[in-house]
Amino acid sequence: MNARILVVDDDTALAEMIGIVLRTEGFEPVFCADGAAAVDAFHSSNPDLVLLDLMLPGMDGIEVCARIREESGTPIIMLTAKGDTADVVKGLESGADDYVVKPFNPKELVARIRTRLRPSSHTSTDLLTVGDLELDVAGHEVRRGDEKINLTPLEFELLLALAVKPQQVFTREMLLEQVWGYHYKADTRLVNVHVQRLRAKVEHDPDNPRIVMTVRGVGYRAGASA
Amino acid sequence: MRYFDWRGWLRQGLRLWRTSLLTRTIATTLILSAVAVTIIGAYIAISVGNNLFDSRRDQLLAQANRATATVQNAFNNLTTGQGSTVNIEDATSTAYTDVLQSSASTANSQIAILRTPGQSGPRIPIDLSTFSSTKSLISKALRKEVAESTTSRVYWQSIGIPTATGRQPAIVIGSSVILPKSGQYELYLIYNLSDSEQTLNFVQSTLVFGGLALILLIGAVTWVVVRLVVGPVRVAAETAQKLAAGELEQRIPERGDDVIATLARSFNGMADSLQRQIVQLATLSQVQQRFVSDVSHELRTPLTTIRLAGDVLYDQRDAFPPATARTAELLRTQVQRFEILLADLLEMSRYDAGAVEVDTEPTNLVRLVEDAVESVASLAETKGSQLRVIAPGGYFEAEVEARRIRRILQNLLANAIDHGEGKPIIVYVDSDETAVALAVRDFGVGMTPAAMERVFDRFWRADPSRQRTTGGTGLGLAISLEDAALHGGWLEVWSAPNEGSCFRLTLPRKVGGVLRSSPLELPPDGTDDSDE
Repeated sequence: MNARILVVDDDTALAEMIGIVLRTEGFEPVFCADGAAAVDAFHSSNPDLVLLDLMLPGMDGIEVCARIREESGTPIIMLTAKGDTADVVKGLESGADDYVVKPFNPKELVARIRTRLRPSSHTSTDLLTVGDLELDVAGHEVRRGDEKINLTPLEFELLLALAVKPQQVFTREMLLEQVWGYHYKADTRLVNVHVQRLRAKVEHDPDNPRIVMTVRGVGYRAGASA
Repeated sequence: MRYFDWRGWLRQGLRLWRTSLLTRTIATTLILSAVAVTIIGAYIAISVGNNLFDSRRDQLLAQANRATATVQNAFNNLTTGQGSTVNIEDATSTAYTDVLQSSASTANSQIAILRTPGQSGPRIPIDLSTFSSTKSLISKALRKEVAESTTSRVYWQSIGIPTATGRQPAIVIGSSVILPKSGQYELYLIYNLSDSEQTLNFVQSTLVFGGLALILLIGAVTWVVVRLVVGPVRVAAETAQKLAAGELEQRIPERGDDVIATLARSFNGMADSLQRQIVQLATLSQVQQRFVSDVSHELRTPLTTIRLAGDVLYDQRDAFPPATARTAELLRTQVQRFEILLADLLEMSRYDAGAVEVDTEPTNLVRLVEDAVESVASLAETKGSQLRVIAPGGYFEAEVEARRIRRILQNLLANAIDHGEGKPIIVYVDSDETAVALAVRDFGVGMTPAAMERVFDRFWRADPSRQRTTGGTGLGLAISLEDAALHGGWLEVWSAPNEGSCFRLTLPRKVGGVLRSSPLELPPDGTDDSDE
């Protein structure tokens, strides 16, 4: 089955063009031109991924992003104009997994989409532990004791990447390549923001992290297993 | 250590003198009034002393005259009576006692009746004296004067009476009396003037204290007056500083109708006008920024569509007839060019709106240069230029925004490759304590001085007919110049026709640093080649 992609953009020409590109690549695009209708469109179409313009009539993209993230971990990629750095950070903080800067080329867009749709499997092990957490790799689930912690696929990937090699310190660039699929120097804010979001979910005290540890001046590593 | 302390104090004093109008005014006033008070005080002290002495002397001389008369009378009475020796002795004693009693009003007076030496006749009576060291107190000169005097006038001389604690001022007054049948005697009266001196001392010390008090008082009054005048000036200065620091609401309180109030009113008027203009400019700048941001978004969305369309067509060009395929290619490259141009235009307008902030991070400039050189190496190769990096310094990290410096460097390298005629291109990097510098040197066509002046102008091209291979927009150097200025740095050019060009970028190593010189020459001489 082809992956279904919800394109939320008020510019119909751009939406249509993106649709053409996506169809050429074998995806199934669904469109929504209004921010206020985006969440409903999300419910009715049940997409595998959302492409979300930040500037929307009705409700702005950041708000839409936060609403979708409240109920689902579906990957969200923002479409932004360059220079809106504050908006990019706000979008990432409200739950977007990645962003593409306009004007982008089709290959770039497709590459970003594919990375988010096909999370890579790092390990043959089914069960990993980080701190007092258990990672069920096959089931994409994280548990603390009996309690299940809801992570988005991206957050799971991020935690998994760290957990597979608990001895290793990951630089932000390494994580960008492994989790986001960037092979060139990209925006390290992606890592920073998502580590914060992940910590907010998995740490007992996000200000004093035990699961995702900061290695000052280098990057991050997984906390010791309990 | 003492020496340094002294120097330190002096320096501090000088600094205070330079910086504080209050200090300067008070110090000047104190010094000048001290000089004036000293002169007046000295004059008063001297004239009081003289007057005191003169009047006392006159008084004493009158007293002495009376004493002389008394003694002479006593002696004369004696002559009329029996001239026996005993009587003479008695008369002398009586006269002596009389004089002593008459002089009682003058404390500490002493008396001596001495026979003038060198006379014949009986030496009667013997010398009488209430003081022991007669000889030393009465000088020979005075004795001689008195002895030779024939009239009844008195002679005087200032002397000092030695005491345990020093010498007390005194006056000795001498006169001659004639003792009939016996000869000439000299009557000496010594009046101690220490009470007068005490009065004088008292007057002098009063003068000194009064003078000091007056100086201090003048100082205090000056302080108050200067404070009154300097205070508003200081308030004005502080307010001006706050205004300059951006606190546009600051005003000076306006009180009264004097010159200070006029100053305050004009100052506030100026501040009002400044504030209006600044607010107006800020609004304009905000409008401009908003506009730039809107244009950015509005242009980007259709451009994205065009680009996607172009790329889709380009990917399928093999299926097209040749003319259509070429069209797709042209469309794609020109859209890319348009995109770069738009990005540059937006960057430029952001600079014009003053909406750019530098976001520095510690950056190793040599590594940055090597990366940039590597990224253009293949392009340089197609033009036949060999790229070299000569970096004697620059390995320590400098606080710059790597993205902007990389952009400057890429731009300079692209220009060097475009105009380098396939000759080698050298990138120099060096640093000193305060600055880092890089220079891109080519040995190509170079520029005339007239062209050099315009090289940073927007959309200016050295040679319009020249084909661009690196796809420059004509804004590159203008943006680079702004990027350099944003860092507080310099971007300078040297060029000579047919010798090539050199662009030198100098940046302070720390944010906010001030450049005085560049670690690199312009153009760098080739002597560093051998160091490699």
